[in-house]
Amino acid sequence: MSRVITITSGKGGVGKTTTTANLGTALAMLGARVVVIDADIGLRNLDVVMGLENRIVYDLVDVVEGRCRLRQALIKDKHFPDLCLLPAAQTRDKDAVSTDDMIALTNQLRAEFDYILVDSPAGIEAGFRNAIAGADEVLIVTTPEVSAVRDADRIVGLAEAFEKSHPRLILNRLKPRMVSRGEMMSVDDVLQILAIDLIGVVPDDELIVMATNRGEVAVLDRASQAGRAFTDIARRIKGEQVPFMPLDGNPGVLDRFFGMFGRRPRGSER
Amino acid sequence: MSNLIAIKGSKDGLRLQLDDQATWSELLEGLRGQLDQGTNFFHGARIVVDIGERVLGDDQLEVLLELMRQHGLSPESLASNTRESRNAARAAGIAARPLERSVAEGEDRGEAVFVRRTIRSGQIVRHHGHVTVLGDLNAGGEVIAGGNVIVWGRLRGTVHAGALGDRNAVICALELAPTQLRIADLIARPPDRDSGRLPEVAHVEDNQIRVEHWASARR
Repeated sequence: MSRVITITSGKGGVGKTTTTANLGTALAMLGARVVVIDADIGLRNLDVVMGLENRIVYDLVDVVEGRCRLRQALIKDKHFPDLCLLPAAQTRDKDAVSTDDMIALTNQLRAEFDYILVDSPAGIEAGFRNAIAGADEVLIVTTPEVSAVRDADRIVGLAEAFEKSHPRLILNRLKPRMVSRGEMMSVDDVLQILAIDLIGVVPDDELIVMATNRGEVAVLDRASQAGRAFTDIARRIKGEQVPFMPLDGNPGVLDRFFGMFGRRPRGSER
Repeated sequence: MSNLIAIKGSKDGLRLQLDDQATWSELLEGLRGQLDQGTNFFHGARIVVDIGERVLGDDQLEVLLELMRQHGLSPESLASNTRESRNAARAAGIAARPLERSVAEGEDRGEAVFVRRTIRSGQIVRHHGHVTVLGDLNAGGEVIAGGNVIVWGRLRGTVHAGALGDRNAVICALELAPTQLRIADLIARPPDRDSGRLPEVAHVEDNQIRVEHWASARR
């Protein structure tokens, strides 16, 4: 049974594309057949992050407008033959695709893939609506900043309005040291506002920037903490019970994460 | 509140019910008063003007619309039992439909609504009576009520109680950390301190919004 999972955030620059690339790769490492779709038409990035930019011939809009077959537009990953990318068009804008097009496209992909990950554009306009239209599940990425959390809250509300139940949260770029000094929102602080399930916490990691610039993904780098966190999230998506990893920092922070795992807040039932 | 004008909230927006027995000038005067008091309540709402059995000519309708425009409102549709009035509305470019009060009244029976979820950024709950929220009101979310507002949870967004001009309205929350509070025509911004973790109540005293701990407010 294949699953369409949309990765979205509201605010830009919180790590949607990096998350999509890493989760896609991690799921493929775990043996699943995966396609990642770049729904950010006009501002494509996913191909760059995955180092596949120079292999693009056809894109999503070509498929929708019938200039090529779906299979022709899919680009095989450098490392995993069961991982494919469907790139966005760079020369068009969000109006080139309708929500019906996206639903039809994702349904077509279900036949050949276990996971269809959709990288949503920032914002709440047509591009976001297209990205979320065909989704079975929604993952919301935020960083521990007030503005990002505010936008994530808006997205949770919109996800409900689009009848996508139980979106789950990825808290990205957490700096445990800053949290322990009380200078950054903690996991608890964020969950208290959003009141949704947490599927993973990704520590801030310079290796991510280095990997991204090289067109490699962090999950392939055993030294990367963020990479390990993304692999854990991929396993949780598959339904495995994976304990939240202790992050470098002081024991207070460490306790927090284990405490989090035991609590499992869900929805608005408090 | 003038009894010539009744305001009902429903899922689809606000229904402005204008008495169909009163004289036209009385009615306009009542409406003007109501709109002056509750500008914020109506702002951004979808509005249906319900004129009942009254026959409204083109001129009268134009006066009515102009009055609403002066207050920044544009009605979405006119509900009327007479064909003349509906035709006048269509001529003025407004949707018109026959009265369906029975249906509408089924939706807004009672003076209070009960909202059992988190009200998130970008969401608005608007109601002519009291509003009780069983959940949090997050920053960026809004509750606008003609009556009292009770939030059984954390209040971090904006609340406007007594939005139709009632200064006796109160706002209560288990944890009061609002972006802004409004009661009738008064506006208050919270002081830049951490919110207390005790239930609090906001009410009007000496032309100001005051916040007190629930425990002390009861005495």
